[in-house]
Amino acid sequence: MTALLDPDRIAMVAKGVSAIVASRDATMRPSIMRAVGSHISADGSEVTVYLRHSQSGQLLQDIATTGEIAVVFSEPSTHRTLQLKARQARQRPAHGDDLPVLQAYLQSMVHEVGQVGYGPVYVAAMLVAPLEDVVAVTFTPVTAFDQTPGPRAGAELAAPPKPRP
Amino acid sequence: MSNAPSLHTIRPCLEGAIPAVMATCDLDGTPNVAYISQVVYVDAAHVALSFQFFNKTRQNILRNPRASVLVLDPLTAHFYRLHLLYERTEDSGPVFESMRAQLAGIASHAGMAEVFELKGADIYAVERIEPVAGEGLPAPAPRSGLLHTLRLCSERIARCTGLDELLQGALQGLQDKLGIDHAMVLMLDASAEQLYTVASCGYATSGVGSEIRLGQGVIGMAARERTPVRISHMTHAALYSHAIRESMDAHAAPNAPSLRGMDIPYPGLREPHSQVAVPLMSAGRLLGVLFAESPEDMRFGFEDEDLLVAIAGQLAAAIDLLQAAPDAPEPLPTPTPAPPVSGSALRVRHFAANDSVFINDDYLIKGVAGAIFWKLLRDHLQTGRVDFTNREMRLDPALRLPDVADNLEARLLLLQRRLQENSPHIHIEKTGRGRFRLCVQRPVVLEDA
Repeated sequence: MTALLDPDRIAMVAKGVSAIVASRDATMRPSIMRAVGSHISADGSEVTVYLRHSQSGQLLQDIATTGEIAVVFSEPSTHRTLQLKARQARQRPAHGDDLPVLQAYLQSMVHEVGQVGYGPVYVAAMLVAPLEDVVAVTFTPVTAFDQTPGPRAGAELAAPPKPRP
Repeated sequence: MSNAPSLHTIRPCLEGAIPAVMATCDLDGTPNVAYISQVVYVDAAHVALSFQFFNKTRQNILRNPRASVLVLDPLTAHFYRLHLLYERTEDSGPVFESMRAQLAGIASHAGMAEVFELKGADIYAVERIEPVAGEGLPAPAPRSGLLHTLRLCSERIARCTGLDELLQGALQGLQDKLGIDHAMVLMLDASAEQLYTVASCGYATSGVGSEIRLGQGVIGMAARERTPVRISHMTHAALYSHAIRESMDAHAAPNAPSLRGMDIPYPGLREPHSQVAVPLMSAGRLLGVLFAESPEDMRFGFEDEDLLVAIAGQLAAAIDLLQAAPDAPEPLPTPTPAPPVSGSALRVRHFAANDSVFINDDYLIKGVAGAIFWKLLRDHLQTGRVDFTNREMRLDPALRLPDVADNLEARLLLLQRRLQENSPHIHIEKTGRGRFRLCVQRPVVLEDA
């Protein structure tokens, strides 16, 4: 499967930027929460977002029932923003192997959010996530949108051409 | 549900310090999540979100009016989810205008002034506010003593017996009790659709007499829409304060060379970072605007706005009362002989077109205050009178004072101040309620241009 994302966008997500996750229930009511961590595979074809169960009950249930997921990634200092969507996602409890990912994410966010004026204590409070409360949600993005603020926000990104065999 | 937080208790989350995010859903079931520039408190059951672009959020909300918005407390890092139902879009009126002015401040801060333009204020009913679990940070001690501060300012206002004392007292109160170092009061000239500065504090020059059109900048917007306008982030590039100066230049009467140079510089800060303008309303009428600004970002929070609105209410009522105080109806006391004049003559010119008055070629004043000054000088030269009453000003058809809300006291104060600052040899002093005296120390030559 061809990845939707170019290396620049993959790099932005990979370094750890703000990630907000949404879904919806059977009655089309949306649900939303901020992720406490994220990870993207090197080719951009697999994305994992981490959510706290205690904060995201409805959202996790909606993702499980409808499969729908939308995640917006944004770099606070530049407002560069990207949205990924998928129609199926799998969930599993986080475990010890996820800890380095969560810690790296927190460090990156302390730096990113620090640039817009919030200190490490605040960022840590915003993203605190005891491992036993964390759920990893993994999906393969099927659509991607540039959402950097401005009149062009919302433009769908086309998949880059397949490399020649 | 009784434990659910109210919109009021989460107002710090609506200050715009941290952008909110919003989830919507298309009818085909695809969710969408997007950042929103503003979530604004409208009333206990409604918020307004900014509508800037025709985007997916917009399309979704028109098809499926349900939305979920995640906000974050900028101090405690606690999250709240707002479950919203879209009701309507407003593209004029107080909520829209106040959001547009705020957005301009935010946009200039983010260096994106051009792409940020408010198309509408989307009004949503708040169906439920859901606190999100989380450790968060301890809440800082609430700002204590705000009510006491209000009391002190209020007492100060209540003691004042004259308009000048009232305005100075109110501004001094803001400075002493609230630490607001830069503030001004502007009065409305309804017929000219302008506001003129009558008092200020904290600026190098008082700017008394400077004018701002209705709808112009933060002050003009607050007046036109009769709503407070508060901007927390602002840079020198902001559309607002500087638009005031540019617009003043652009609107200086180009067809009247004799009137050039009569614009009095507006006294605002060169690079304000926070501004708040509150309309002065009394008995449903707009009297003017109370304005404060600061070189710091985020200097005025919603509590400062609340406090200023409360003070503005009392200030406006007091202004109204002092302007409406009964004029002296009884005959004047024994006329005081005019004090001797000496020195070279002052040449005072009057332009009937707009009642502007120049002293030795220096612009002094125009409009109703200019007409009053001209009448005083003519009467004085013809009859030697120095004592006058508000009542006769009000009754003089030549002055064309509007019947209602003529702001006579404010115009006399404006004249008094302009003379004080610009013409040391002529001044006006109050001699009692509804009475004043014209003091001329040099010979005067009048010229009707």
